[in-house]
Amino acid sequence: MASAAAHRLLDLHRDGRLAAEYPAVRGLLTEHSQPELVTAGRLLARLDPDEVLRLHPAVPSPRIAVRGHGTLAAVLPALVGELARHGILGRPMPGDFDSYVFDLADPGSDLYASGADLTLCLLDPHVVLDELPSPWQPPDVGRVLDEKLAVLERIAATFDAAGAGTLVLTTIPLPPDLLGQLIAHRSRARVGVLWREANARLLRLADAYPSVVVLDLDPLLAEGIPLVDPRQSVYAKAHLSAELLARVAREVGHLVRHLLGRGRKCLVVDLDETVWGGVLGEDGIAGIEVADSHRGEAFRAFQRLLRQIGSQGVLLAAVSKNDSEQVRAALREHPRLTVREEDFVRVSANWRPKSENLADLARDLNIGVDSLVFVDDSDCECGLVRHALPDVAVVRLDDEPALHVRALLRDSWFETREVTGDDLARPERYRKELARGEFLDSFSSIQDYLDQLEVRVVLAGAEARDVARVSQLTLRTNQFNMTTCRLTPAEVEAWRDDAAGHVVTVHSGDRFGDNGLVGVLFLRREDEVLRIENFLLSCRVFARGIEHACLAAVLRRAGEAGVREVRGFYRPSARNGKVADLYPAFGFLPAGDEPEVTEFRHDLAVLPAPPAHIEVSERFELGGVALRAASPATTTAMAMATATTTAATTVTATAATTQSGGNRA
Amino acid sequence: MTTLDMFVELVRDELGLPVTRQNVGSALEDIPGWDSIHMLALLMVLERETSQRLSLPEMLDADSLQSIYEMAVGR
Repeated sequence: MASAAAHRLLDLHRDGRLAAEYPAVRGLLTEHSQPELVTAGRLLARLDPDEVLRLHPAVPSPRIAVRGHGTLAAVLPALVGELARHGILGRPMPGDFDSYVFDLADPGSDLYASGADLTLCLLDPHVVLDELPSPWQPPDVGRVLDEKLAVLERIAATFDAAGAGTLVLTTIPLPPDLLGQLIAHRSRARVGVLWREANARLLRLADAYPSVVVLDLDPLLAEGIPLVDPRQSVYAKAHLSAELLARVAREVGHLVRHLLGRGRKCLVVDLDETVWGGVLGEDGIAGIEVADSHRGEAFRAFQRLLRQIGSQGVLLAAVSKNDSEQVRAALREHPRLTVREEDFVRVSANWRPKSENLADLARDLNIGVDSLVFVDDSDCECGLVRHALPDVAVVRLDDEPALHVRALLRDSWFETREVTGDDLARPERYRKELARGEFLDSFSSIQDYLDQLEVRVVLAGAEARDVARVSQLTLRTNQFNMTTCRLTPAEVEAWRDDAAGHVVTVHSGDRFGDNGLVGVLFLRREDEVLRIENFLLSCRVFARGIEHACLAAVLRRAGEAGVREVRGFYRPSARNGKVADLYPAFGFLPAGDEPEVTEFRHDLAVLPAPPAHIEVSERFELGGVALRAASPATTTAMAMATATTTAATTVTATAATTQSGGNRA
Repeated sequence: MTTLDMFVELVRDELGLPVTRQNVGSALEDIPGWDSIHMLALLMVLERETSQRLSLPEMLDADSLQSIYEMAVGR
């Protein structure tokens, strides 16, 4: 029987109101079963994307080129449905049948001209089977695989060089009816080796080319999804089953969500029946199931998953209706519990509505509630959170703890291209951020607090090692992101390689420790004009004057490097309203409105003084003039005076140290 | 699915195509929005609804939705 949500979606379709009500679709799809989602995808695929965009211009609408070997019709509505689950209006663009080599190997093809944001290339076993002689021997399989891999390697190189977005290739699954055609075990083993070596070569393309993602189909098939429906393969040349294509579409949905900067950052778990079995308040610390017993082992597997996810930079928090002291005692003292208190950035054990705890957590971590994933076994709690905070992703567990792991992994909420060093340090940093909040509470004014915080900022040209983190910042940062221009690592590399472009990283730290690489300025020099194409700053260092220090330094250095005018740009998004007036606050004047972008200009006549509480070091160039300077913020000398400094100046930080020391005294 | 009306509703609700009793007998290419990509999806939907295996080669050669319906219900 269809769910209420599927009925509601069908009603919207029947009434012709799906486009008008598109923003409600995402919420409805969260409650669709997998078969219902397939139908929903077909209905949504009938919508005119231009009509939806006209009614809802803020909906992201990436273009997804689909290429491959056989009939791939089923993947198109599946992509539309899966992307709609994430609030994304996918626009799939199919190509001609079996045109993948022609389209992808030729940089002059229509595919490259189409400007697709992502290209999905689906490979099936018939790529190889179609070229085997009759009869065939194991070496024939090796020869055809070699030829195909050579073509695919050329395609990956061509695509990467073209800078055409992201290419997703699938591995080529070993089909069920191939090995059985050989009667000798030894021959079967030989073909098994050749096939897997080819797929290993394919998977290595992701290491060689930053714009290429290789999706391994083996684990998806291992979930129990059929590779092929023989009738559809024979009669319609559909060599991958509709179920597998739907599963691939789900993976592509995760990737697109990440590329659009909609990945999640914080995992919030319930405790009773989620992290451990039983109810702490009733069973006591000794009575909960955490390991060793049948159910205990299921929960232990889930605890290990939480630690695993947390170890890669995802913030963990717990929200539980329980007595706070008892929860703390369990997390500290239970000898067999795998997750401990220190694994969480916050444990909220109280009797308030969970939605309130989630909203407070997001506020204190300075992230949006749309960065949270909430996991609970209670239907009621899940429903309340969905209702109160529709932007929180809710994962409903059931009463079978052995299925908890897969339920959480199912939507790859925290997927990223690469885990950076910054990711690994993130949880510790957020714990310090919460400590900073308590430190702040002990001061009478914000300025007193800032004066004592000992903030330091380093501005430096981006190095190769920074590329992954810079890309990630463009993808993760929503609030302080002047133009919300998302960049893949390959696109960041292109910026670095561009002689007129300058990627300036912002590192910061304070008395509580190092914040890491927290911001980026994308600058472009055009003769006497310097364009700040984008400026973004991680939410974890807001409200410390760091943006002030950055702009003061860039404006001063621009003047030193012979620039006469600096331009800044603001492109409104759903989340970056708080920085709309950033440039005017630092002396920029409005200079014309494009339809979607506001432009500002600074003539460099009067420069903003740097903030007194920040010590700034600069190691970047603006168009051929290399400078090295450490300017303690306490030297509030007029910026114009220092603008004449062209040689390396090193001013020790003594003044700053003395001042803050004095204040402490 | 036992009547032509139910079949029409099924095609409308599962494939999103604007099929009516009036055009269900029309040539497939005259159905607004029809594309050969719908055929495989329709086959799967019909096999699910009738709980029986249908002949894909025959369906692929069908010239109208009504003839597909007749194959599915065994007429």
